[in-house]
Amino acid sequence: MTLSTMFTTMSVGMLRSFAVFMLTLLGSLPLGMVVALLKKSRFKVVRALINAYISVIRGTPLMLQLLVWYFGPFYLFGLNIGNWRFPALILGFVVNYAAYFAEIYRGGIESIPVGQYEAAEVLGYTRTQTFMRIILPQVVKRIMPSVTNEVITLVKDTSLAFTLAYQEVFSLAKQISASQTSFMPFLIAGVFYFVANYVVEFVMGRIEKALDYYK
Amino acid sequence: MIIEMNNIEKHFGDLEVLKDISFGVDSGEVVSIIGPSGSGKSTLLRCATFLETIDGGEILYMGKRAAHTDAGGHAVYVHQNELRRFRSYCGLVFQQFNLFPHYSVLKNLTDAPMHVQGRSKEEAEETAMELLGKMGIADRANAYPYQLSGGQQQRVAIARALAMKPEILFFDEPTSALDPELTGEVLKVIRQLADEHMTMVVVTHEMPFAKAVSNRVLFMDGGVIVEQGDPNEVFENPKEERTKQFLRVFER
Ligand SMILES: Nc1ncnc2c1ncn2[C@@H]1O[C@H](COP(=O)(O)OP(=O)(O)O)[C@@H](O)[C@H]1O
Ligand SMILES: [Mg+2]
Repeated sequence: MTLSTMFTTMSVGMLRSFAVFMLTLLGSLPLGMVVALLKKSRFKVVRALINAYISVIRGTPLMLQLLVWYFGPFYLFGLNIGNWRFPALILGFVVNYAAYFAEIYRGGIESIPVGQYEAAEVLGYTRTQTFMRIILPQVVKRIMPSVTNEVITLVKDTSLAFTLAYQEVFSLAKQISASQTSFMPFLIAGVFYFVANYVVEFVMGRIEKALDYYK
Repeated sequence: MIIEMNNIEKHFGDLEVLKDISFGVDSGEVVSIIGPSGSGKSTLLRCATFLETIDGGEILYMGKRAAHTDAGGHAVYVHQNELRRFRSYCGLVFQQFNLFPHYSVLKNLTDAPMHVQGRSKEEAEETAMELLGKMGIADRANAYPYQLSGGQQQRVAIARALAMKPEILFFDEPTSALDPELTGEVLKVIRQLADEHMTMVVVTHEMPFAKAVSNRVLFMDGGVIVEQGDPNEVFENPKEERTKQFLRVFER
Protein backbone atom coordinates (compact mmCIF):
# COMPACT_ATOMS: atom_id res chain seq x y z
CA MET A 1 0.00 0.00 0.00
CA THR A 2 1.46 3.32 -1.04
CA LEU A 3 1.52 6.28 1.29
CA SER A 4 -1.08 8.08 -0.78
CA THR A 5 -3.59 5.17 -0.74
CA MET A 6 -2.97 4.86 2.97
CA PHE A 7 -3.72 8.54 3.38
CA THR A 8 -6.81 8.37 1.17
CA THR A 9 -8.17 5.40 3.13
CA MET A 10 -7.53 7.20 6.39
CA SER A 11 -9.02 10.48 5.23
CA VAL A 12 -12.44 8.81 5.41
CA GLY A 13 -11.70 8.18 9.08
CA MET A 14 -10.60 11.78 9.49
CA LEU A 15 -13.92 12.98 8.12
CA ARG A 16 -15.72 10.63 10.50
CA SER A 17 -13.72 11.92 13.47
CA PHE A 18 -14.48 15.44 12.36
CA ALA A 19 -18.21 14.62 12.15
CA VAL A 20 -18.23 13.41 15.76
CA PHE A 21 -16.31 16.51 16.80
CA MET A 22 -18.62 19.00 15.07
CA LEU A 23 -21.89 17.31 16.03
CA THR A 24 -20.75 17.07 19.64
CA LEU A 25 -19.89 20.77 19.76
CA LEU A 26 -23.10 21.82 18.02
CA GLY A 27 -25.13 19.80 20.51
CA SER A 28 -23.24 20.26 23.74
CA LEU A 29 -22.39 23.97 23.63
CA PRO A 30 -26.07 25.05 23.71
CA LEU A 31 -27.23 22.09 25.81
CA GLY A 32 -24.58 22.98 28.38
CA MET A 33 -26.16 26.42 28.74
CA VAL A 34 -29.59 24.89 29.29
CA VAL A 35 -28.09 22.61 31.95
CA ALA A 36 -26.26 25.53 33.61
CA LEU A 37 -29.50 27.55 33.79
CA LEU A 38 -31.52 24.57 35.04
CA LYS A 39 -28.95 24.12 37.78
CA LYS A 40 -30.03 27.54 39.05
CA SER A 41 -33.71 26.60 38.81
CA ARG A 42 -36.15 27.64 41.51
CA PHE A 43 -37.26 24.03 41.80
CA LYS A 44 -35.30 21.82 44.13
CA VAL A 45 -36.16 18.66 42.18
CA VAL A 46 -34.74 20.11 38.99
CA ARG A 47 -31.55 21.18 40.74
CA ALA A 48 -31.17 17.73 42.33
CA LEU A 49 -31.66 15.99 38.97
CA ILE A 50 -29.11 18.24 37.28
CA ASN A 51 -26.60 17.69 40.08
CA ALA A 52 -27.07 13.92 39.82
CA TYR A 53 -26.62 14.05 36.05
CA ILE A 54 -23.41 16.06 36.33
CA SER A 55 -21.97 13.76 39.03
CA VAL A 56 -22.73 10.61 37.06
CA ILE A 57 -21.23 12.02 33.87
CA ARG A 58 -18.10 13.22 35.62
CA GLY A 59 -17.76 10.12 37.74
CA THR A 60 -17.86 7.50 34.97
CA PRO A 61 -15.72 6.97 31.85
CA LEU A 62 -17.06 8.32 28.57
CA MET A 63 -16.36 4.90 27.07
CA LEU A 64 -18.76 3.28 29.51
CA GLN A 65 -21.37 5.97 28.84
CA LEU A 66 -21.16 5.28 25.11
CA LEU A 67 -21.78 1.58 25.72
CA VAL A 68 -24.78 2.37 27.93
CA TRP A 69 -26.27 4.63 25.27
CA TYR A 70 -25.80 1.94 22.66
CA PHE A 71 -26.86 -1.16 24.58
CA GLY A 72 -29.09 0.51 27.18
CA PRO A 73 -32.27 0.70 25.09
CA PHE A 74 -32.16 -3.04 24.43
CA TYR A 75 -30.95 -4.37 27.78
CA LEU A 76 -32.90 -1.94 29.93
CA PHE A 77 -36.09 -1.52 27.90
CA GLY A 78 -36.02 -4.34 25.37
CA LEU A 79 -36.08 -1.81 22.54
CA ASN A 80 -34.62 -2.62 19.18
CA ILE A 81 -33.88 0.60 17.37
CA GLY A 82 -32.62 0.38 13.80
CA ASN A 83 -29.46 2.33 12.92
CA TRP A 84 -28.96 3.19 16.56
CA ARG A 85 -25.16 3.06 16.56
CA PHE A 86 -24.43 6.56 15.29
CA PRO A 87 -27.23 8.37 17.20
CA ALA A 88 -26.12 6.58 20.39
CA LEU A 89 -22.56 7.69 19.76
CA ILE A 90 -23.47 11.35 19.25
CA LEU A 91 -25.92 11.33 22.17
CA GLY A 92 -23.22 9.91 24.40
CA PHE A 93 -20.74 12.58 23.41
CA VAL A 94 -23.23 15.46 23.54
CA VAL A 95 -24.66 14.53 26.93
CA ASN A 96 -21.15 14.03 28.31
CA TYR A 97 -19.69 17.29 27.03
CA ALA A 98 -22.81 19.28 27.93
CA ALA A 99 -22.16 18.43 31.58
CA TYR A 100 -18.60 19.76 31.40
CA PHE A 101 -19.62 22.88 29.48
CA ALA A 102 -22.44 23.47 31.97
CA GLU A 103 -19.92 23.57 34.81
CA ILE A 104 -17.77 26.02 32.86
CA TYR A 105 -20.78 28.25 32.10
CA ARG A 106 -21.92 28.13 35.71
CA GLY A 107 -18.49 29.21 36.92
CA GLY A 108 -18.54 32.05 34.37
CA ILE A 109 -22.03 33.20 35.31
CA GLU A 110 -21.20 33.16 39.01
CA SER A 111 -18.06 35.21 38.43
CA ILE A 112 -20.04 38.20 37.14
CA PRO A 113 -20.33 40.79 39.94
CA VAL A 114 -23.82 41.20 41.39
CA GLY A 115 -23.52 44.94 40.65
CA GLN A 116 -23.99 44.18 36.95
CA TYR A 117 -27.39 42.61 37.64
CA GLU A 118 -28.37 45.45 39.93
CA ALA A 119 -27.38 48.15 37.46
CA ALA A 120 -29.40 46.38 34.77
CA GLU A 121 -32.38 45.93 37.07
CA VAL A 122 -32.49 49.61 38.03
CA LEU A 123 -32.28 50.54 34.35
CA GLY A 124 -35.38 48.42 33.73
CA TYR A 125 -33.91 45.57 31.69
CA THR A 126 -36.03 42.42 31.84
CA ARG A 127 -34.37 39.26 33.18
CA THR A 128 -33.93 37.90 29.68
CA GLN A 129 -32.44 41.18 28.43
CA THR A 130 -30.12 41.31 31.41
CA PHE A 131 -28.87 37.83 30.68
CA MET A 132 -28.56 38.18 26.92
CA ARG A 133 -27.24 41.76 26.71
CA ILE A 134 -25.25 42.24 29.91
CA ILE A 135 -24.29 38.93 31.49
CA LEU A 136 -23.76 36.45 28.65
CA PRO A 137 -21.29 38.53 26.61
CA GLN A 138 -19.10 38.95 29.69
CA VAL A 139 -19.42 35.25 30.54
CA VAL A 140 -18.30 34.25 27.04
CA LYS A 141 -15.13 36.28 27.40
CA ARG A 142 -14.31 34.90 30.82
CA ILE A 143 -14.81 31.24 29.92
CA MET A 144 -12.93 31.19 26.62
CA PRO A 145 -9.71 29.63 28.05
CA SER A 146 -11.65 26.82 29.79
CA VAL A 147 -13.76 26.20 26.69
CA THR A 148 -10.60 25.95 24.58
CA ASN A 149 -9.22 23.29 26.95
CA GLU A 150 -12.43 21.32 26.74
CA VAL A 151 -12.55 21.51 22.93
CA ILE A 152 -8.98 20.23 22.70
CA THR A 153 -9.88 17.34 24.98
CA LEU A 154 -12.82 16.63 22.69
CA VAL A 155 -10.57 16.39 19.63
CA LYS A 156 -8.63 13.64 21.37
CA ASP A 157 -11.74 12.02 22.87
CA THR A 158 -13.27 11.46 19.43
CA SER A 159 -11.01 8.40 19.25
CA LEU A 160 -13.28 6.81 21.89
CA ALA A 161 -15.89 6.43 19.16
CA PHE A 162 -14.12 3.16 18.32
CA THR A 163 -15.94 1.74 21.39
CA LEU A 164 -19.07 1.52 19.24
CA ALA A 165 -17.08 0.18 16.25
CA TYR A 166 -17.25 3.56 14.58
CA GLN A 167 -14.40 3.71 12.08
CA GLU A 168 -12.83 7.02 12.99
CA VAL A 169 -9.23 7.83 12.16
CA PHE A 170 -7.63 6.04 15.08
CA SER A 171 -9.37 2.68 14.60
CA LEU A 172 -8.52 2.85 10.90
CA ALA A 173 -4.91 3.51 11.79
CA LYS A 174 -4.83 0.41 13.98
CA GLN A 175 -6.39 -1.76 11.28
CA ILE A 176 -4.15 -0.57 8.47
CA SER A 177 -1.08 -0.76 10.67
CA ALA A 178 -1.86 -4.39 11.49
CA SER A 179 -2.62 -5.42 7.91
CA GLN A 180 0.33 -3.58 6.37
CA THR A 181 2.74 -4.13 9.25
CA SER A 182 3.56 -0.45 9.08
CA PHE A 183 3.96 2.23 11.71
CA MET A 184 2.99 4.94 9.22
CA PRO A 185 -0.79 4.98 9.93
CA PHE A 186 -0.12 5.93 13.55
CA LEU A 187 2.08 8.80 12.43
CA ILE A 188 -0.63 10.00 10.07
CA ALA A 189 -3.23 9.78 12.84
CA GLY A 190 -0.92 11.62 15.22
CA VAL A 191 -0.36 14.40 12.73
CA PHE A 192 -4.12 14.60 12.16
CA TYR A 193 -4.88 15.13 15.85
CA PHE A 194 -2.04 17.57 16.22
CA VAL A 195 -3.11 19.66 13.24
CA ALA A 196 -6.73 19.56 14.35
CA ASN A 197 -5.77 20.90 17.76
CA TYR A 198 -3.52 23.48 16.19
CA VAL A 199 -6.51 24.76 14.21
CA VAL A 200 -8.66 24.74 17.36
CA GLU A 201 -6.08 26.79 19.26
CA PHE A 202 -5.73 29.18 16.35
CA VAL A 203 -9.48 29.75 16.02
CA MET A 204 -10.04 30.08 19.77
CA GLY A 205 -7.07 32.42 20.00
CA ARG A 206 -8.65 34.60 17.33
CA ILE A 207 -11.93 34.71 19.20
CA GLU A 208 -10.16 35.58 22.45
CA LYS A 209 -8.32 38.36 20.66
CA ALA A 210 -11.55 39.68 19.20
CA LEU A 211 -12.93 39.89 22.75
CA ASP A 212 -9.86 41.72 23.98
CA TYR A 213 -11.33 45.15 23.28
CA TYR A 214 -12.44 45.45 26.90
CA LYS A 215 -11.27 44.25 30.29
CA MET B 1 -44.11 64.63 45.96
CA ILE B 2 -41.94 62.58 43.62
CA ILE B 3 -41.46 59.78 46.11
CA GLU B 4 -43.10 59.03 49.39
CA MET B 5 -42.04 56.19 51.64
CA ASN B 6 -44.28 55.62 54.64
CA ASN B 7 -43.56 53.47 57.69
CA ILE B 8 -41.00 51.38 55.86
CA GLU B 9 -39.92 48.19 57.60
CA LYS B 10 -37.09 46.02 56.34
CA HIS B 11 -35.24 43.18 57.98
CA PHE B 12 -32.59 40.69 56.92
CA GLY B 13 -33.33 37.59 58.97
CA ASP B 14 -33.48 38.73 62.57
CA LEU B 15 -31.73 42.00 61.84
CA GLU B 16 -34.10 44.97 61.65
CA VAL B 17 -32.44 47.34 59.21
CA LEU B 18 -35.21 49.89 58.61
CA LYS B 19 -37.56 50.60 61.50
CA ASP B 20 -40.71 52.48 60.58
CA ILE B 21 -38.99 54.99 58.31
CA SER B 22 -41.06 57.70 56.66
CA PHE B 23 -39.58 59.98 54.13
CA GLY B 24 -40.62 61.99 51.08
CA VAL B 25 -38.96 64.10 48.44
CA ASP B 26 -40.54 67.01 46.59
CA SER B 27 -39.87 67.85 42.99
CA GLY B 28 -36.60 69.79 42.63
CA GLU B 29 -35.50 69.01 46.15
CA VAL B 30 -32.02 67.78 47.00
CA VAL B 31 -31.85 65.63 50.11
CA SER B 32 -28.62 64.39 51.70
CA ILE B 33 -28.57 61.34 53.92
CA ILE B 34 -25.74 61.03 56.39
CA GLY B 35 -25.08 58.49 59.09
CA PRO B 36 -22.65 55.88 60.30
CA SER B 37 -21.92 52.73 58.35
CA GLY B 38 -24.54 50.03 58.87
CA SER B 39 -27.30 52.49 59.71
CA GLY B 40 -29.45 51.38 56.75
CA LYS B 41 -28.78 54.18 54.24
CA SER B 42 -28.04 51.87 51.32
CA THR B 43 -30.95 49.64 52.20
CA LEU B 44 -33.29 52.63 52.16
CA LEU B 45 -32.08 53.59 48.68
CA ARG B 46 -32.30 50.00 47.49
CA CYS B 47 -35.88 49.79 48.71
CA ALA B 48 -36.72 53.08 47.01
CA THR B 49 -35.29 51.82 43.72
CA PHE B 50 -36.91 48.36 44.03
CA LEU B 51 -33.64 46.45 44.36
CA GLU B 52 -34.89 45.25 47.75
CA THR B 53 -38.47 44.51 48.72
CA ILE B 54 -39.87 46.11 51.83
CA ASP B 55 -41.43 44.01 54.59
CA GLY B 56 -43.92 46.67 55.63
CA GLY B 57 -45.04 50.20 54.80
CA GLU B 58 -45.83 51.80 51.48
CA ILE B 59 -43.97 53.35 48.57
CA LEU B 60 -45.57 55.93 46.30
CA TYR B 61 -44.14 57.54 43.20
CA MET B 62 -45.90 60.57 41.74
CA GLY B 63 -48.77 59.90 44.12
CA LYS B 64 -49.28 56.36 42.78
CA ARG B 65 -48.82 53.37 45.01
CA ALA B 66 -46.05 50.93 44.04
CA ALA B 67 -46.18 48.89 47.24
CA HIS B 68 -48.34 48.77 50.35
CA THR B 69 -49.04 46.60 53.35
CA ASP B 70 -52.13 44.42 53.05
CA ALA B 71 -54.59 43.55 55.81
CA GLY B 72 -52.46 40.52 56.72
CA GLY B 73 -49.47 42.78 57.36
CA HIS B 74 -47.54 41.68 54.27
CA ALA B 75 -45.99 44.12 51.84
CA VAL B 76 -47.43 43.69 48.36
CA TYR B 77 -46.11 45.21 45.18
CA VAL B 78 -47.94 46.09 41.98
CA HIS B 79 -47.66 43.62 39.12
CA GLN B 80 -44.30 43.14 37.38
CA ASN B 81 -45.35 45.13 34.29
CA GLU B 82 -46.55 48.06 36.33
CA LEU B 83 -43.44 47.93 38.48
CA ARG B 84 -41.39 48.56 35.35
CA ARG B 85 -43.12 51.91 35.01
CA PHE B 86 -42.27 52.78 38.61
CA ARG B 87 -38.69 51.76 37.99
CA SER B 88 -38.52 54.24 35.14
CA TYR B 89 -39.24 57.08 37.59
CA CYS B 90 -36.03 56.52 39.51
CA GLY B 91 -32.34 56.13 38.80
CA LEU B 92 -29.54 54.94 41.06
CA VAL B 93 -25.85 55.77 41.01
CA PHE B 94 -23.78 53.13 42.80
CA GLN B 95 -20.66 53.53 44.88
CA GLN B 96 -18.91 51.03 42.58
CA PHE B 97 -20.21 52.65 39.33
CA ASN B 98 -21.29 49.26 37.89
CA LEU B 99 -20.79 50.35 34.30
CA PHE B 100 -21.14 47.65 31.65
CA PRO B 101 -17.49 46.86 30.79
CA HIS B 102 -18.26 45.33 27.39
CA TYR B 103 -20.07 48.44 26.16
CA SER B 104 -18.43 51.66 25.07
CA VAL B 105 -19.24 54.80 27.05
CA LEU B 106 -21.79 55.79 24.42
CA LYS B 107 -23.44 52.36 24.41
CA ASN B 108 -23.61 52.37 28.19
CA LEU B 109 -25.78 55.46 27.79
CA THR B 110 -27.89 54.40 24.81
CA ASP B 111 -28.54 50.69 25.34
CA ALA B 112 -31.24 50.96 27.99
CA PRO B 113 -33.03 53.96 26.42
CA MET B 114 -33.19 52.00 23.15
CA HIS B 115 -33.95 48.51 24.43
CA VAL B 116 -35.92 49.30 27.55
CA GLN B 117 -37.67 52.50 26.57
CA GLY B 118 -37.81 51.89 22.84
CA ARG B 119 -36.25 55.20 21.84
CA SER B 120 -34.67 55.50 18.41
CA LYS B 121 -30.92 55.22 18.02
CA GLU B 122 -30.66 58.83 16.83
CA GLU B 123 -32.61 60.19 19.77
CA ALA B 124 -30.72 58.05 22.28
CA GLU B 125 -27.34 59.07 20.88
CA GLU B 126 -28.26 62.72 20.79
CA THR B 127 -29.34 62.64 24.44
CA ALA B 128 -26.23 60.65 25.35
CA MET B 129 -23.83 63.07 23.68
CA GLU B 130 -25.56 66.01 25.29
CA LEU B 131 -25.19 64.38 28.72
CA LEU B 132 -21.56 63.43 28.13
CA GLY B 133 -20.92 67.04 27.19
CA LYS B 134 -22.47 68.19 30.43
CA MET B 135 -20.32 65.70 32.34
CA GLY B 136 -17.23 67.00 30.53
CA ILE B 137 -16.37 63.67 28.90
CA ALA B 138 -17.82 63.96 25.39
CA ASP B 139 -14.38 63.14 23.99
CA ARG B 140 -14.49 59.71 25.70
CA ALA B 141 -17.72 58.55 24.04
CA ASN B 142 -15.98 55.71 22.21
CA ALA B 143 -13.74 54.64 25.08
CA TYR B 144 -14.43 51.58 27.21
CA PRO B 145 -14.93 51.90 30.96
CA TYR B 146 -11.57 50.29 31.81
CA GLN B 147 -9.84 53.10 29.92
CA LEU B 148 -11.33 55.77 32.19
CA SER B 149 -10.34 57.08 35.61
CA GLY B 150 -12.68 56.38 38.53
CA GLY B 151 -13.98 59.92 38.43
CA GLN B 152 -14.75 59.66 34.73
CA GLN B 153 -16.42 56.27 35.23
CA GLN B 154 -18.67 57.68 37.91
CA ARG B 155 -19.60 60.60 35.65
CA VAL B 156 -20.50 58.10 32.93
CA ALA B 157 -22.63 56.23 35.48
CA ILE B 158 -24.44 59.45 36.37
CA ALA B 159 -25.00 60.18 32.68
CA ARG B 160 -26.25 56.62 32.13
CA ALA B 161 -28.84 57.09 34.86
CA LEU B 162 -29.87 60.50 33.49
CA ALA B 163 -30.21 59.11 29.97
CA MET B 164 -33.33 57.29 31.19
CA LYS B 165 -34.85 60.69 32.06
CA PRO B 166 -35.80 59.70 35.62
CA GLU B 167 -37.92 61.90 37.86
CA ILE B 168 -35.52 61.37 40.73
CA LEU B 169 -31.93 60.24 41.02
CA PHE B 170 -30.51 58.40 44.03
CA PHE B 171 -26.78 58.38 44.79
CA ASP B 172 -25.26 55.83 47.16
CA GLU B 173 -21.93 57.25 48.33
CA PRO B 174 -20.96 58.25 44.79
CA THR B 175 -17.45 59.33 45.76
CA SER B 176 -16.54 56.73 48.38
CA ALA B 177 -14.72 54.46 45.91
CA LEU B 178 -12.69 57.34 44.46
CA ASP B 179 -9.25 58.64 45.25
CA PRO B 180 -9.57 61.94 47.13
CA GLU B 181 -8.28 63.97 44.19
CA LEU B 182 -11.10 62.61 42.00
CA THR B 183 -14.05 63.27 44.29
CA GLY B 184 -14.20 66.94 43.32
CA GLU B 185 -15.07 66.34 39.67
CA VAL B 186 -17.96 64.06 40.61
CA LEU B 187 -19.31 66.37 43.31
CA LYS B 188 -19.12 69.19 40.79
CA VAL B 189 -21.49 67.50 38.35
CA ILE B 190 -23.92 66.64 41.15
CA ARG B 191 -23.84 70.25 42.26
CA GLN B 192 -24.49 71.30 38.68
CA LEU B 193 -27.53 68.99 38.55
CA ALA B 194 -28.75 70.52 41.81
CA ASP B 195 -28.50 73.97 40.22
CA GLU B 196 -30.74 72.66 37.43
CA HIS B 197 -33.23 71.48 40.07
CA MET B 198 -32.83 67.79 39.39
CA THR B 199 -34.59 65.95 42.21
CA MET B 200 -31.91 64.01 44.08
CA VAL B 201 -31.22 61.98 47.19
CA VAL B 202 -27.54 61.66 48.01
CA VAL B 203 -26.05 59.36 50.61
CA THR B 204 -22.67 60.90 51.38
CA HIS B 205 -19.89 61.36 53.89
CA GLU B 206 -18.84 64.64 52.23
CA MET B 207 -20.24 66.98 54.85
CA PRO B 208 -19.26 70.32 53.31
CA PHE B 209 -20.80 69.15 50.05
CA ALA B 210 -24.00 68.01 51.76
CA LYS B 211 -24.24 71.32 53.56
CA ALA B 212 -23.68 73.37 50.41
CA VAL B 213 -25.90 71.46 48.00
CA SER B 214 -28.88 70.05 49.84
CA ASN B 215 -32.18 71.60 50.81
CA ARG B 216 -32.56 69.06 53.58
CA VAL B 217 -30.30 66.74 55.52
CA LEU B 218 -31.35 63.49 57.09
CA PHE B 219 -29.29 61.81 59.79
CA MET B 220 -29.85 58.06 60.03
CA ASP B 221 -28.65 55.73 62.74
CA GLY B 222 -29.70 52.20 63.65
CA GLY B 223 -32.43 52.04 61.01
CA VAL B 224 -34.24 55.20 62.04
CA ILE B 225 -34.13 58.83 60.96
CA VAL B 226 -32.73 60.40 64.09
CA GLU B 227 -32.92 63.98 62.91
CA GLN B 228 -33.67 65.93 59.76
CA GLY B 229 -33.97 69.49 58.63
CA ASP B 230 -32.26 72.46 57.05
CA PRO B 231 -28.58 71.65 56.47
CA ASN B 232 -27.38 74.67 58.42
CA GLU B 233 -29.54 73.69 61.38
CA VAL B 234 -28.50 70.03 61.38
CA PHE B 235 -24.80 70.74 60.89
CA GLU B 236 -24.48 73.80 63.14
CA ASN B 237 -27.08 73.09 65.78
CA PRO B 238 -27.84 69.38 65.89
CA LYS B 239 -30.52 68.64 68.44
CA GLU B 240 -29.89 64.98 69.06
CA GLU B 241 -26.94 63.70 71.00
CA ARG B 242 -26.28 60.95 68.41
CA THR B 243 -26.09 63.51 65.62
CA LYS B 244 -23.64 65.62 67.61
CA GLN B 245 -21.47 62.62 68.28
CA PHE B 246 -21.50 61.58 64.65
CA LEU B 247 -20.68 65.05 63.33
CA ARG B 248 -17.86 65.49 65.82
CA VAL B 249 -15.95 62.72 64.05
CA PHE B 250 -15.99 64.73 60.84
CA GLU B 251 -14.65 67.90 62.38
CA ARG B 252 -10.96 68.42 62.07
N1 LIG C 1 -28.37 41.61 51.74
C1 LIG C 1 -28.15 41.70 53.06
N2 LIG C 1 -28.26 40.60 53.84
C2 LIG C 1 -28.07 40.68 55.17
N3 LIG C 1 -27.78 41.80 55.83
C3 LIG C 1 -27.66 42.93 55.11
C4 LIG C 1 -27.84 42.94 53.69
N4 LIG C 1 -27.67 44.21 53.25
C5 LIG C 1 -27.39 44.94 54.34
N5 LIG C 1 -27.39 44.20 55.46
C6 LIG C 1 -27.15 44.69 56.83
O1 LIG C 1 -28.06 45.74 57.06
C7 LIG C 1 -27.46 46.78 57.82
C8 LIG C 1 -27.58 48.09 57.06
O2 LIG C 1 -26.79 48.02 55.90
P1 LIG C 1 -26.71 49.23 54.87
O3 LIG C 1 -28.06 49.61 54.46
O4 LIG C 1 -25.76 48.79 53.81
O5 LIG C 1 -26.06 50.37 55.75
P2 LIG C 1 -25.28 51.67 55.30
O6 LIG C 1 -25.46 51.87 53.85
O7 LIG C 1 -25.89 52.78 56.12
O8 LIG C 1 -23.86 51.45 55.68
C9 LIG C 1 -26.03 46.35 58.05
O9 LIG C 1 -25.96 45.78 59.35
C10 LIG C 1 -25.78 45.31 57.00
O10 LIG C 1 -24.84 44.37 57.44
MG1 LIG D 1 -24.03 51.93 52.28
